[in-house]
Amino acid sequence: MLAAAIRRLGGACAAPGGAWLSSWLPQTVQFRGSHWQTSLLAFKASLPMRVQPKKKKKVDIKREQAQKDRMKKKIRKLEKAAPEMIPIEDFITPSKYSESNRVRSLPPLSFEETERRVLLMKKWSLYKQKQDEAEKKAIQTLVAAQQEALKELRLESEELYQAAIKRDEGLFPFERDGPNYTPPLPGYDPPEGKCIDITKVYTQ
Amino acid sequence: MEAPIAGHCGPRGSAMAAPGQRAAAGWGRRLCTAAAPRPWRLFGALCLLRLPRITQPLRREEEEMAALMGQIELEKSRYSDHEIRKLEEEEQLKRRKESMYDDDEGPGKTVIMAQDLEDKWEQKLLQFKAASRITDADKNNIRTSLNRKLDSNLMLLVKQKIGNQELWLLPQAEWQAGETLRSTAERAMAIFLGDHIQAKFLGNAPYGLYKYKFPRSIRTEDNMGAKVFFFKAFLQSNDLSQAELKEDYLWVTKDELGGYLKSEYLKKVNQFLLDL
Repeated sequence: MLAAAIRRLGGACAAPGGAWLSSWLPQTVQFRGSHWQTSLLAFKASLPMRVQPKKKKKVDIKREQAQKDRMKKKIRKLEKAAPEMIPIEDFITPSKYSESNRVRSLPPLSFEETERRVLLMKKWSLYKQKQDEAEKKAIQTLVAAQQEALKELRLESEELYQAAIKRDEGLFPFERDGPNYTPPLPGYDPPEGKCIDITKVYTQ
Repeated sequence: MEAPIAGHCGPRGSAMAAPGQRAAAGWGRRLCTAAAPRPWRLFGALCLLRLPRITQPLRREEEEMAALMGQIELEKSRYSDHEIRKLEEEEQLKRRKESMYDDDEGPGKTVIMAQDLEDKWEQKLLQFKAASRITDADKNNIRTSLNRKLDSNLMLLVKQKIGNQELWLLPQAEWQAGETLRSTAERAMAIFLGDHIQAKFLGNAPYGLYKYKFPRSIRTEDNMGAKVFFFKAFLQSNDLSQAELKEDYLWVTKDELGGYLKSEYLKKVNQFLLDL
């Protein structure tokens, strides 16, 4: 940059590095708008001097804009990527349970025990199959009885039939507290206490 | 307890005759009022169920399977923190006994062992007395109370006068013009139990039907018989102290129905009751 400046001005003297500014501007030291502007009349002469700051600005602006675009692209890519899955705590075994001292030491199963287990499994599958068949049969009789009732109702009166096959809006959602092991104890006073919920809440 | 009225037969004869008669009168534009002859009187009956409050006892196969599942789960599991603590403390006790380390831990220091904790929890459990699964009403077989047979469905049966007979039936009321059959059933419930009972009806459609012809003495061209449409509802309110029950009533399970209902009626009712 220093060599170029000297060459453009017709190189008066090979000024030393530090004093190159003063060697450029001998006559217009009095008033200057900025240290780059020599004089209003010598505007054109100072044009080549504006090339360097212009380069800087262009490059700067270009560089900054390119950087900003890259950042924006990265942000957009991150946003478009699928959100991180929330881990299901039940499926992840904590690593402390894989230690060797944790393994249970039980005597190995005898032959009779394995046989008993296998036979019990077979009996269980048969039991469940019978139970399932009975349930399905019961449901079929239920549906058949209802169909017969609706058929007879239709024979009786069409509008009663139409009223009967209308959807019942108040039926769902249907809520019921399930049966417990023992009936509720009359006059039971549950002990005082506070329940602190420590479940981890994940946000995406 | 066979039906003395001959007309209480099933739909053997009536099913054949009825469609022919009503085909002429039924199809085409129908008016609500009885302009066309309708030989069947309509009744809406209600099967009010009290749902079970406790779980049913496990059957033998289920118990065996539950025990096996528990065993397999134990075999596949790892030691928990509490169990490791217990094992370590047992080891320490054994070492102390064998090598007589009296002054190692210091007599003044009281350490709570895992075994002590377990004993404490056991004591606390024994102090709690749950309500018994078999109630007094069960033991004395009081069939009018709702507190019996807590593990099965209970149904309401009332004694009603049909013709000149008093019969045990599901509460029914005659259909009046201008209401749907479901509202007839609701009216039946209000008649027998009062207004303050809450019940959840399961849909607008009837669950079953019982058709019977009147005995020949009463039977006319216009009045051949009756059709009773059954609706199901779950009892929501827990106590019936506010209910004004005028007639005789009973709460029975499905197995005990046979002792009260006529055979044909019972057959039709059993079709829409699930075996619980």
